[in-house]
Amino acid sequence: MSSVPQEMKDTSVACSKWLDAHYDPVANLYTFTSCIALSDLHGDGDNKLVVGDLGTGVCNMKLKVYRGTGLLSESTLLDLPTGLVSFLMDLHEPRTPAVAVASGPFIYVYKNLRPYFKFTLPSLEVNPLEQDVWSQAKEEMIDPMTLKEMLEGIRDKAEIPLSVRSLRYLMLDPQEMEAFVHLHKDQPIRRQTVITCIGTLKKNMADDDAVSCLVIGTENSDIYILDPEAFTILCKMSLPSTPTFMDVTGQFDVEFRITVACRNGNIYILRRDSPKPKYCIELSSHPVGLVRIGRNVVVGCTHETLHGYTQKGKKLWTAYLPAAVTTMALMDLPARAFQAVLVALANCEVHMYRDKNLICTIKTPDVVTSICFGRYGREDGTLLMTTKGGGLIVKILKRTAVFDDKDSAPGPPIAQSIRLNVPKKTKLYVDQTLRERENAVAMHRAFQMDLSRLRLATARAYVKALESSLTPVSESPTEPLKMNAVVQGLGPSFKLTLNIQNTAACRPVMNIAISFLYDENLYSMKTAFFKIPLLVPGLNYPIDTFVECLSDKGISDVIKVFVLREGRSAPLLTAHINMPKRHDLTL
Amino acid sequence: MDPLFLAWSCYRRRKFQRCSEICSKILTENPYDQAAWSLKTRALTEMVYIDEVEVDQEGIADMMLDENSIAQVARPGTSLRVAGTAQAGVPTPAVRPMTQSGRPITGFMRPSTLSGRPETMEQAIRTPRTAQTARPVTSASGRFVRLGTASMLTNPEGPFIHLSRLNLAKYSKRPELSKALDLAALATEHAHFRDWWWKVQLGKCYYRLGLYREAEKQFRSALGQQEFVDTYLYLAKVYQRLDQPITALQVFKQGLDHFPGEVTLLTGIARIHEEMNNIPSATEYYKEVLKQDNTHVEAMACIGSNHFYTDQPEIALRFYRRLLQMGVFNCQLYNNLGLCCFYGQQYDMSLSSFERALSLVSSDEEQADIWYNLGHVGVGIGDLTLAYQCFKLTLAFNNNHSEAYNNFAVLELRRGRIEQAKAFLQTAASLSPHMYEPHFNYATLSDKLGDLQSSYMAAQKSEDAFPEHMDTQQILKNLRQHFSTL
Repeated sequence: MSSVPQEMKDTSVACSKWLDAHYDPVANLYTFTSCIALSDLHGDGDNKLVVGDLGTGVCNMKLKVYRGTGLLSESTLLDLPTGLVSFLMDLHEPRTPAVAVASGPFIYVYKNLRPYFKFTLPSLEVNPLEQDVWSQAKEEMIDPMTLKEMLEGIRDKAEIPLSVRSLRYLMLDPQEMEAFVHLHKDQPIRRQTVITCIGTLKKNMADDDAVSCLVIGTENSDIYILDPEAFTILCKMSLPSTPTFMDVTGQFDVEFRITVACRNGNIYILRRDSPKPKYCIELSSHPVGLVRIGRNVVVGCTHETLHGYTQKGKKLWTAYLPAAVTTMALMDLPARAFQAVLVALANCEVHMYRDKNLICTIKTPDVVTSICFGRYGREDGTLLMTTKGGGLIVKILKRTAVFDDKDSAPGPPIAQSIRLNVPKKTKLYVDQTLRERENAVAMHRAFQMDLSRLRLATARAYVKALESSLTPVSESPTEPLKMNAVVQGLGPSFKLTLNIQNTAACRPVMNIAISFLYDENLYSMKTAFFKIPLLVPGLNYPIDTFVECLSDKGISDVIKVFVLREGRSAPLLTAHINMPKRHDLTL
Repeated sequence: MDPLFLAWSCYRRRKFQRCSEICSKILTENPYDQAAWSLKTRALTEMVYIDEVEVDQEGIADMMLDENSIAQVARPGTSLRVAGTAQAGVPTPAVRPMTQSGRPITGFMRPSTLSGRPETMEQAIRTPRTAQTARPVTSASGRFVRLGTASMLTNPEGPFIHLSRLNLAKYSKRPELSKALDLAALATEHAHFRDWWWKVQLGKCYYRLGLYREAEKQFRSALGQQEFVDTYLYLAKVYQRLDQPITALQVFKQGLDHFPGEVTLLTGIARIHEEMNNIPSATEYYKEVLKQDNTHVEAMACIGSNHFYTDQPEIALRFYRRLLQMGVFNCQLYNNLGLCCFYGQQYDMSLSSFERALSLVSSDEEQADIWYNLGHVGVGIGDLTLAYQCFKLTLAFNNNHSEAYNNFAVLELRRGRIEQAKAFLQTAASLSPHMYEPHFNYATLSDKLGDLQSSYMAAQKSEDAFPEHMDTQQILKNLRQHFSTL
């Protein structure tokens, strides 16, 4: 082989480390990183992509499975999925993983893509007062309005919050209340929480194909760990706030660590045998993504920053991003002992960070909303992304790709070396300064004299303008008004818009009228005089009127607008409107 | 004296009105006097003759309902419609004011300096009124009566020749008379003539009708038969209309190969460069123009204003003085001289020039512009009362002077009258959304008042108008940080 193609190959490798395997802009996939997973669903060594599709957010929620470039299966979900994981729940051969979809207060477990089990979160304690009120309503001792008032009282005072039913009831219109009470009064009140995030934790072995427990975070700030076979609650921990992102490592029977990003902007680290968080990281802005790399935690924030922390909550580094983070994921290539963080940004780029070094940038055709890296089909290094517009992108990492550890962002900014284009002082300028130096006194005198004359002329013109109220800004302390006029149209009809504003701090202006002065041979106006309503300070009042141009000779004139005050002969303001020529000259 | 000879003499001395009167008299006596007919047509044509090569004003209908535009998002540097990306060495809007379409203002007012597509209909119908943002201006070309529609309109006794009554076939056989008519129908009938002149006429008709591709074909074929400067200009005009400035430049350069040093061709190149925001090359070509014709007003004015805005007022002063020597005597020129003297530190001549300018004003707009510049002088010498009065006078003379509203608001703010300042900034922003200053000032004001939402919105508008403005970016950065901090 000659050397030329070899060279070309090298450069192409250098500029892209990824192969474009598949791009379907209309895959109709609307999902987030928490709802996609890669899994060998049939135990045949061929990994599939499992997606909990959010559909439109109201309907069309689907559990979709992709194999290669095509859709393998599709089943309907009852409610919006909030998280999706794949895990091994037993030791039976063949080892086929189950899929757990969290939605609302339930976890639906699918095996072989068939519904297998439904887990419901334990219901919470119901406020006894609320129970009382509803039982009274059931026996029709109180009418719906009283019920509403009493529930409102409970909502404001009680420590235990109201159930969903009561909250829904409080939102209803009065005429719908009766029917609602009749429909629901016989059912017992239950208070349910919902799942916000879900993860997996190995039970007692660290192997890849070990049995895993489910770890779930709920809206009322609890973390539950479930037994994989019996689906009983093995352990319950509570947090100070609602969890949003979760990362789990370790084994349940030995030692584990759960890193949880919460809605109050803090990250808590939980360990085995401690029902309360062990460490806390306080962020300066809300987290939008959480990834654990080895012993470190990488957090993307709404501040367009990426922070690295140790396991114990010590800050290591901060990287500044060019745009807002949309989602984050871990890139793990065990065969090459390579780990990095994938950060999808709102400017249609995916950045790859190893520590704080940017090592690769991928441009995408749309904003990426979910991202996942792993084994897909039989290819180990596959990057799967879905976009805001519902597209699916599959990229394969080239086996020849080498990532330099060096930061690809350049060192000193380029702007440092750009010379500013400051024009040189010309010889002419130097000559003029010489003249200035020699005749300084004469020049100063001439200037001062001119200045005095100018001041006089300005003051005269100003007084003249004030006396005849020519200015469009009124200076009078009682009616501080401002007006400007805009003419629109091509003619012969023009639209005249007067923008009047009361610039006083807090006093309204009343009893104002507007009149126009114009050449009646040239223009005609429907109403040349009208009253203005009360002017509230600070608001702009656009007042429209129509002007008809009568002449077809292509000439134009000035229309004068007067703002008048009742009982005063001199106008408050005057504006001269230079009317445009009409453009409709006929052939 | 023979009345026909007298009429002819009047025509030669360009007294067209009198010439046509005499011809009318002859014709009432003898309606079949063909010489008189011919002379009268020529006189009437000359009266309303407009140099078609120069003037080109796109009507609103042409702009908004253009069916020739194909690519909405043109690549930078290939289209006149999108304001070109700023190139190195070009003054930013912070230094040189912008027109509505986002181009730096030029030193010479001509209809095409407003080109660029308005985005909304409302902006479009307001366009003619914001055309006066060219400040400082040297020579206003004014707006010519619309092409081609003038000939019949200005004649108070009604049309001289009734089109319907003409026997076109008869006249078409007599080229010397139909030359004066210059009517599309007739020219089309002559299309089979193997005459380059007719091809040009036909091309002109197509151009008027908006059939630019056909016009291009005619001009090209005419050029194949006979090289002529006018034809090159027409062809370039067609390409400019088709939004192909690069091709237009090529046409001009071809023309220059055949007619080296032709001033009109050089001016055309310079104008295209200027419209594409490439001021350095535009200046190059204007300098070339001056080498060929050292009395070219437009070239001098443009070079002068370029020097003024690149911080060399003393050189600009030289050019404006040269204009004065050439006999250009109007208020804009004195206004510019005053400004150049002031910024070039020649204080003794500055104010007297402004005084002269004030005495020469012919319209309220001009007066407003001079007061506006005097307001700047007031700010420059620290006399804020004078500046305040001047800006107010500007507003009195021109109610829609958004720059003055903006500056006035800043002065009001310094006096601590926040409500007024706010109202004026809003007015300035609504009058000319293309200026970044009112938006930026409003953003700073709202930021100080604690109204962060309005501040953010105004700052975004300011960024749209002037993306490189560092202060706006600073405000936006602070606000974004503020919004995302817990």
